Amino acid sequence: MTDLRPSDDEFEPYEEDRGIPLPVSWIAIALALWGIVMLYHNNRSVMIGRSERSEAAKPQSRDVGAGGAGIFLARCATCHQPNGSGVAGAVPPLASSPFLKAKPEVVVQILLHGIDGPIRVGDDVFDGHMPSFASVLSDDDLAQVANHVRKGWGASQTISAAFVAGQRARFPDRGAWNGGSEIAATLDPTLPPQPAPRPDAGTGIDPAVAGLVQHGSGDAWACASCHGSQGQGRANVPRLAGLPAAYISAQLAAFASGSRRDDTMTVVARALSQNQRETVGNYYAGLRTPSTARPSLDGDLERGEILALQGDWKHGVPACFSCHGPSGFGVAPGFPALAAQHPAYTADQLAAWRGKVHRASPNDVMNMVANSLSDSDRRAVADFLATLPPVPAAHRQEPVHGRSVAR
Amino acid sequence: MNRILPLSILALAILALATLMLVVVPGMQINAQPATPGLQPYTAIQLRGRQTYVSMGCVYCHSQQPRSTDQGPDGERGWGRPAIASDYAYDSPHLLGTMRTGPDLSNIGARLPNQAWHLAHLYQPRSVSAWSIMPAYSFLFEVKERAAPGDVVVRIPNGRGPKHGVLVAKPEAIDLVAYLQSLDRTMVAPAHAERDDGYAKSER
Repeated sequence: MTDLRPSDDEFEPYEEDRGIPLPVSWIAIALALWGIVMLYHNNRSVMIGRSERSEAAKPQSRDVGAGGAGIFLARCATCHQPNGSGVAGAVPPLASSPFLKAKPEVVVQILLHGIDGPIRVGDDVFDGHMPSFASVLSDDDLAQVANHVRKGWGASQTISAAFVAGQRARFPDRGAWNGGSEIAATLDPTLPPQPAPRPDAGTGIDPAVAGLVQHGSGDAWACASCHGSQGQGRANVPRLAGLPAAYISAQLAAFASGSRRDDTMTVVARALSQNQRETVGNYYAGLRTPSTARPSLDGDLERGEILALQGDWKHGVPACFSCHGPSGFGVAPGFPALAAQHPAYTADQLAAWRGKVHRASPNDVMNMVANSLSDSDRRAVADFLATLPPVPAAHRQEPVHGRSVAR
Repeated sequence: MNRILPLSILALAILALATLMLVVVPGMQINAQPATPGLQPYTAIQLRGRQTYVSMGCVYCHSQQPRSTDQGPDGERGWGRPAIASDYAYDSPHLLGTMRTGPDLSNIGARLPNQAWHLAHLYQPRSVSAWSIMPAYSFLFEVKERAAPGDVVVRIPNGRGPKHGVLVAKPEAIDLVAYLQSLDRTMVAPAHAERDDGYAKSER
C-alpha cells in the first residue's frame, strides 16, 4: 500500500467532509421558524396598532345613536337633573323655563356659546355658569338635544341641524352670553325682564397684578411663562383659567410650606407675599379661556366617563363629580374644576397623590381615591375630563397661543 | 487556503444581505416618512444650540423618545405622546439617547417654555431643585460688574447666584436654551405614521 499523501512541505491541512450534526440542523430550523413567527407577530401588532389608531382618529360617536335623550343624560342632566328640575339657588330649572319657550335660536345660542352672568328663570335669579358645547357637540347632536329639551319643557317646533349650522355661523367670534339680559336684548326681546349683566371681568385688573403674571418679579418667574398668556396651560402645566381664587392661593401657600411638592412652584410661591398669592388667584379665577386640552394618554374614554360620573365602588372610587361639581366644573373654594384640564397634569397629580408626594388634600381624601385607581384608570379619567368644555365658558372664542390647539 | 473565491463571495454576500436588511430597507422606510405635520425646521440659532447640546453631552443623560403607554408611564409624567419616526425629520443625526438619568426632553419646550427658568437651571440646577444631580453649567455664564446693553441678565433663585456683580448668559447658553425651547413634538401624530407597535394587542 503506497502513501498517496504529498510530502510534508506540500501538505495543505484540510478537514474531512463531515456532515452537520443533526441536532444543529434542528436548532437552525427551529430558530428560523421562531424568526418567522416573531416577524408575523410583529406584523400583526403593527396592523392592530394602525387599525386602532385609524378607528380612534374617526370622530367620537359616543353620543350619536342615543338621540337627544342620551345626549341630555350624558351632558346636561348632571347639572339640570334628569327631570329638568335644576338645583335650587345654583342651576336654573329647564321645566317651564321661558328660555325654552322663546324663539328656537335662544336655546341653540345658549348651547353654542354658554352663559356667564346673572339670569332670571321664573322668580329666581341664578349666577349663570353654563359651558359652551360648540366644540364638543356636532350640529346634529345640538339639534337633537335642543329638540329634546324643547319638546319636554318648551315649544314643540322642531330644530334642524341646518338651523344649528346657521346659528353657529351667526356669531363666529363671540364668547359666553353675559347673562339673561344680553340674550334678551340680542335674540328675543319677548323674554321676561332679566337682571343687569355683570361688569366685564377683564376691566378691573390691577396693572401690578398683570405685570406680576406676565413678567414676574424678584425670584418669581412670570406665571404666564409656563401657564400661557391666558392661563391655558400645556402638557403637564395645569390650566389655571377659571379655577377658584381661594383654591389657587391655597395651593401657592401649600407649595411655599412644602405640603405640596413641585420644585419650580416652590421657588415661585416662596417669592410671593400672601397678598400677591391672593391677587394672582383672583386674576386667574376671572380669566375666561377656551379649552386647549385634548385626550393624549391613550385612555379609555368610556371607562373615564363611568369613573367621573358614577365612580367605581367595587374598588372604592367615588365619582369625581360628587365633590368636584357636576361635569367637573369645580366647587369653590376647595374643589378645583377638572373639566378641560390637561390630561398629563391630571394623571400626574393622581400618581402624585398615590405616591404621597402630594399631601395637600383635606383628610387625605385624594390619596385614598388615587390609591384605588390603576394606571389605566388614571389615564382614562384624565383623558375623559380633557374632553369636557370649560366652565365658566370662554369670553371670546379666539384661538389660544400654542401649536397643539385641538378642535 | 482552499477555495478563497467562494469564501470571499459568501462573506460579501452575507455582509450585503445584512446591509440590505438592516440599513437599506429601514432607510427607505424612514425616508419615505414626511415630517410630522406642524413640526418646524430648526432656525440657525436653534441649530447652534443643538451643537452645544451635543458638545455638552446632554444626550448621555437625557433621551428624546417618549414611549407608548404600554411600555412606560411617560405620558403621565408629562413627557408627551409616544414618539414616531417623522418627529425626527429635521434631526441629523438624531439625539434619541439611551440613558434617562434625567427626564426625557422630547417636549421640554412645550412643558417648560420659560427662558429665565432654563438659564437659572443651567447655571445651577440646585437653585431650582435641591436634589438634582445634574452638573452645573456655570461656565456658560459670566459675572460682570454691570450688564451691557443687549446682555441677558440671569437671576438665580434661593440665593445661589454670585455674591457680587450681575450674572450674564454667554451666547452658547442662550443658543442652548433656544434649542430646548424649540423641542415641541406635541402635535397630533398621523394614524399611519411609522412607529413601534411591539406590544399592541387586539383587546378592544
